[in-house]
Amino acid sequence: MKWCSGNHEQRKFRVRCLVAAILTVVFAFVAAGVFRLFHPHGVVAYLVAILPALPILWVLIEMGRYLAEEKDEFQRNLLVQCMLGGIGGTLAVTTVWGYMEDFARAPRLDLVWVYPIFWLFVGLAWPVVYRRYK
Amino acid sequence: MKNRLKILRAERDWSQADLAQRLEVSRQSVNAIETGKFDPSLPLAFKLARLFGLRIEEIFEDERS
Repeated sequence: MKWCSGNHEQRKFRVRCLVAAILTVVFAFVAAGVFRLFHPHGVVAYLVAILPALPILWVLIEMGRYLAEEKDEFQRNLLVQCMLGGIGGTLAVTTVWGYMEDFARAPRLDLVWVYPIFWLFVGLAWPVVYRRYK
Repeated sequence: MKNRLKILRAERDWSQADLAQRLEVSRQSVNAIETGKFDPSLPLAFKLARLFGLRIEEIFEDERS
């Protein structure tokens, strides 16, 4: 899928996701720098720590807004199916891994990986969903 | 759901892209509806009916009837 393809809502959503991805990386570096240089404690530490998560929360809001604004019900249906694939895959992986951690002492899965895992499964679901309607 | 979209479109010499433009949806949407893989909502079905000057049941076939 080309970056500039799709309708107005899709292009707007993609641009916002790109901006959020850039902000996540920038904020992650900022947060890492603040912790390295200033060693914040207490509430300030929590506030600095959640900085990289803010753009991710923004994308989640944008996903909801896109689904509400998308006038093409077929395209909306495709994204919803892909997101269901993403949710299902993420739940499956994290549940299985959780039990592996508990009983088999598998390496701890950092929670920051949940979001990338979700998008990985959304991406994997995409060709499967699209092929269904070809 | 079976439908007569392909025939109606051909009668007017419209491509899927032409119909999509008139409906303000993507060409993939028209293709999915036309091939019966995606059932449109009532508002979109009414829009199609208005566009072709027909009733919904003259475009879409209820397979259970």
